[in-house]
Amino acid sequence: MKNKRPFSKDILIIEDIGAECERIVTGIRENVLHRLHRIGGVIGISGGIDSSVSMALAAKALGTENLLGIMLPEQDSSGDSARFAQKLADKFGVKAITENITGALKGFGCYIRRDEAVKKVLPEYDPDHYKMKIGISNSGLYTNLPPLFSLTIVDSKSNQQSKRLPPNELRQIEAASNFKQRCRMSMLYYHAERLHYAVIGTPNKHEIEQGFFVKNGDGGSDIMPIAHLYKTQVYQLAHYLGIPNEIIERTPTSDTYSAEQTQEEFFFQLPFQQMDLLWYAFKNGYDPQEVGIVMDRTADEIEKVFGGFERKIKTTEYLRMPPLSF
Amino acid sequence: MNYFPIYLHNLFTISSMEQDVLTIKQKINQYVLQNTFAEKLKIQDDSLIFKEGYFDSMGFIMLITFIEEEFALKTSDSDLIEENFESINAITSYIIRKKSKQ
Repeated sequence: MKNKRPFSKDILIIEDIGAECERIVTGIRENVLHRLHRIGGVIGISGGIDSSVSMALAAKALGTENLLGIMLPEQDSSGDSARFAQKLADKFGVKAITENITGALKGFGCYIRRDEAVKKVLPEYDPDHYKMKIGISNSGLYTNLPPLFSLTIVDSKSNQQSKRLPPNELRQIEAASNFKQRCRMSMLYYHAERLHYAVIGTPNKHEIEQGFFVKNGDGGSDIMPIAHLYKTQVYQLAHYLGIPNEIIERTPTSDTYSAEQTQEEFFFQLPFQQMDLLWYAFKNGYDPQEVGIVMDRTADEIEKVFGGFERKIKTTEYLRMPPLSF
Repeated sequence: MNYFPIYLHNLFTISSMEQDVLTIKQKINQYVLQNTFAEKLKIQDDSLIFKEGYFDSMGFIMLITFIEEEFALKTSDSDLIEENFESINAITSYIIRKKSKQ
């Protein structure tokens, strides 16, 4: 690659953050108004860093009076999510409403279908007395074997039990849980259509490229203003835009299962700072030897990580595909 | 004159152990081909099926489940290492080792 900068831990820092911010703001405005022909935007806000930065950018682009923030909690959501989301909306002067989707999810049988699969693996599970989550083994990143999912249940005394998830139960738990993101998408479109607004999606670069989203769920929107940014860069923008510190300092979670779970243990296997650098190195064709020196890993380990990335791209391609026609 | 072709003679004298190995390899090979949609020629007994990216997490757990059901064995978490699963040869050796301990 021509003029490729030496690989370093600072390689992702955006040098002119103000200019990047302005470029995104202009992009939102131009695309919403002149390509999508909508007069404003709706955005799901969770109190997480991605939706917070996306909301702040959209507010600058469209004006606070043309933006609606929607909190979409359900019975498993953390109370912190609503509190932080409201704080964010208040700070930026954006109107925020709450749409609790628990009733819709019960209608779909989301919880019953999920719990049925959980009980098949750990029969003592009772949703009234246990919390649950699924996660992956973090031994998977430096080997050629993909990680396996396990189920964890936690009782009221914080005693945990975990078991490897067989394929049928894993698929049922994931499929049932995905009702959550798809319900949220439906509700966002209800308000968008009612107001003649566009739905502003909030995934970042990793989530899209590694397939950490639900097809036609949080992957369903009209415009994705931070889809080109690494998480490190999203944080850089957060500081620049004045996102509240509690949100910036919060550990990214999936907020999908009743037991607490970080995005790292559910999907990424590494803290985002390391994942960002490795992903950048992989996407930009850096030599594993050079990357290994910076990341304090062997070239062989880095090659295995890159192999895992290739596998992830290949196996999640289906999520990024538009409906096929022929 | 011996009218019995040499290759058939070899086949008939194959040990039951060798027959077991062949049967296991065939079953694993068939499973891999059916579940990865890979080209037949690309899946050899020593092909590094995980390094080549034929299986994701779901594919791996499905393969484990197939092995457990087909060969009536139970895999422990400590068994799930590259040396035991990297190729059809490795999986076959793993199954034989595991069965011999039952």
